[in-house]
Amino acid sequence: MAVTKRRITFGFDRFSGLYLWGLFILIFGLWEPHLFFTASTVHSVASEYAITGILGIAVLVPLAAGAYDLSVGATVNLSTIIVSQVQSANHWNMWLAILTAVAATFVVGLVNGFIVVKLHVNSFIATLGMATIIGAVQSMVSGSSQPLPPTSAFWNGLTQHSIFGFQIVFLYLIIIAVFFWWVLDHTPAGRYIYAVGGNAEAARLSGVKVEKWTWLSLITSATLCGIGGVFYASLSGPSLTFGASLLLPAFAAVFLGSTQIRPGRVSVWGTLLAIYVLATGVTGLQLITGVQWLNDMFNGVALIVAVSFAVWRQRAVASGRARAGWRARSIAHTDSGHPETLDGSAEELTTNGLPPQVPK
Amino acid sequence: MPNPALVVRNLTKTFAGTAALNSFDLTVMPGEVHALVGENGSGKSTMIKILAGYHRPDPGGEVVIDGEPLTFGSAESSYSLGCRFVHQDLGLVATASVLDNLCMNTGFPARWGTIRSRLARREAEEDLARVGLHIDPRTPAGELSPALQTGVAVARVLKQDARSPAKLLAFDEPTARLPVSEVEHLARIVRQVSSTGIAVLYVTHRLDEVFEFADQVTVLRDGRKVTTAPVSTLDRSRLIHLLVGAELDEVHASAAALHPEHGEPILKVRDLWASQQAGVSFDVHRGEIVGVAGITGSGRETLLGALFGAAERFAGTVHVGHQLLRPVRPDASMAVGVAYLSPDRKLNGGIMELSARENVSLSDLRPFWGFPWLRRRPERAEVLSWFKRLAVRPGDAVESHLSTFSGGNQQKILFSKWLRRRPEVLLLDEPTQGVDVGAKVELHRHLLAAAAEGTGVLVSSSDVDELLALSHRVLVLRDGRIVASLTGADLTVQAISHQALAADESAGEERLVASWQ
Repeated sequence: MAVTKRRITFGFDRFSGLYLWGLFILIFGLWEPHLFFTASTVHSVASEYAITGILGIAVLVPLAAGAYDLSVGATVNLSTIIVSQVQSANHWNMWLAILTAVAATFVVGLVNGFIVVKLHVNSFIATLGMATIIGAVQSMVSGSSQPLPPTSAFWNGLTQHSIFGFQIVFLYLIIIAVFFWWVLDHTPAGRYIYAVGGNAEAARLSGVKVEKWTWLSLITSATLCGIGGVFYASLSGPSLTFGASLLLPAFAAVFLGSTQIRPGRVSVWGTLLAIYVLATGVTGLQLITGVQWLNDMFNGVALIVAVSFAVWRQRAVASGRARAGWRARSIAHTDSGHPETLDGSAEELTTNGLPPQVPK
Repeated sequence: MPNPALVVRNLTKTFAGTAALNSFDLTVMPGEVHALVGENGSGKSTMIKILAGYHRPDPGGEVVIDGEPLTFGSAESSYSLGCRFVHQDLGLVATASVLDNLCMNTGFPARWGTIRSRLARREAEEDLARVGLHIDPRTPAGELSPALQTGVAVARVLKQDARSPAKLLAFDEPTARLPVSEVEHLARIVRQVSSTGIAVLYVTHRLDEVFEFADQVTVLRDGRKVTTAPVSTLDRSRLIHLLVGAELDEVHASAAALHPEHGEPILKVRDLWASQQAGVSFDVHRGEIVGVAGITGSGRETLLGALFGAAERFAGTVHVGHQLLRPVRPDASMAVGVAYLSPDRKLNGGIMELSARENVSLSDLRPFWGFPWLRRRPERAEVLSWFKRLAVRPGDAVESHLSTFSGGNQQKILFSKWLRRRPEVLLLDEPTQGVDVGAKVELHRHLLAAAAEGTGVLVSSSDVDELLALSHRVLVLRDGRIVASLTGADLTVQAISHQALAADESAGEERLVASWQ
């Protein structure tokens, strides 16, 4: 990845997550070496957060194209219920059950895309509505009672098989991450998606098929949720409510991740980094204190602090040393003159720490 | 002899070792309209920013406003000494009324926390009258013409403030967004303001305005003052020469030397109906540069977009060679060799948060794609070669966000995005809007080179001089129809304006004029 000259720093901004991660490991490692510094902690953190990671990527893809998918929580939950229900109640073959669950989520994505692209509904609203509808469908399928977990050994082995000590679901996450990193960073498809997210009209006038990529990104998102839901059912058993509790952490990770590596742009590795930095912090604190509310508290605080830091840094860079009043500031916004480009301080206040892409 | 309103002495500002402004001197008397002209990067924006207290200059210089020294780096000092600024982006809220816009910063007159609306209105009317505007303050700002909006912005910054009366009004390229027909209205505002004894510092890169409004002109090049002279002692070509040297003339000469092919046209438009077009038909031949002129609302601004597929078309056909262009399908138009440079690079031209490299290559990624990688090295090399060819500054910053480049350089980058496709038909909408003279010359040169290679070029511009300089033929639009096709000796500024305005003023124009009475 090419780095502009002026960014040759210690990377405290772009890699602050990595430093923080190291700090967490050091602190908790010294504090509770026998509990924290163990292979089993590493393995359990890795697999416990694998589903969140998959969901994070599901959020990331449409967000890169400028569309919010708020239905990921409901979709991942729907997939879990379908895949469990048809196996344990209807005794379907496992592969058929998986196919059905994933196909159902594919349809969810298709409908999301239709509402956003063809009906021109703001993606935020469209997917929020969709999430509620999916909740209703889930109740129809399950009759509001939690299905029994399927019991075949093969079914459990789908995710609980271990490789190098890691549960295989973590490997699935890595495969998915590598695939989407490739798609987003190294194929024309990725360029088109980021272009659509950056400025849909400019992308359209550059010959990019905006509707197609928006639609595809929403289908991808929902289908990934479908796959994630199947893994969750195999890993932890069916649950009627887990999806909603993963929605915000997934979004938080994507936003946090957009302050990393290539600030201002959502990215696969930034997202995974954010997820595992937070996971490490939460796990360490839980080992030390043993309290349950830490998870939410820590995630919320970390998101706000990290994004504020990114915003502050961008503003500091943009305005140089000036602590100018509104008059001066309005100059900075309007002018595109050279001096800034010379001293390299004209990084625009494009984002408030979030990806520049806004919902359509 | 009164105190000068502004005295600048020996002002220098260096950024990372490069002097953006170099021992600059300037004197502006009260009531004088002083134009500051120069290419982007010549230091005029830096000058304004120092004046506004945004930049702190290098030690050794001084700025004195009506006898009082400015405290550098202090926006408060700048304001209290009487400096006022109107920026290109006026900062008006389009949906709010003129009244609300006027009171937005200073606050409304109120009693018991309730706005005294009658008083507020009277005050607003006075503020507007001070710049010669007589409009209803309840009108939403967005409904006003761009010139009137600028007027409102001027009225806002000149609001009476007993503690620090306004002494100097600085315009930072206010007309970059104004169509030619409206510049005259702005001229009245400027004259009205200067007649009250306020000095006006007018930063621009449109030379017409210098001759229209200004008493004195100061030319900047590379951070240094080239000259200060009364406008009456200069003429247009002399001023251009001071700005960039003789390059522009050379471009114009080479435009005349091009010989378009005859025979089968490359672009054929027949009976086009779209949002503002009512049956437009014309041809463009290979190697020909055709200009499109017309006032705002004539159909000029939307014609090229409708051809390319940026906007809808209702009826009619567009052919490129023998291929029919499908409506609203930019991708299909590109596939048959059409390129379209959109008029507003911030809104729909460039993708500001992507790098220059990604913006350029977006128009065609195929050369770099071979499964499984999009190869960055050849991509970078190609973009770098375009940077070199179009003299983009800074020349190696292909990885920087598009937003970090100056306007002229952004335009060059977007130009290269289209030129690299070697289009058959090049549609250019306001190709040099908000671009300084030097970059303009560069862009024109590449446009001519494309035409020389057989591209058919259609240029729509509100800059009549630009059309005259480039075009073999100018189509004049009025009320959605082509009313004239001017070539050769008929191609003059007078002929274009005469045809564009013609006898019957449109209703909108009349209303606009009426508001000035």
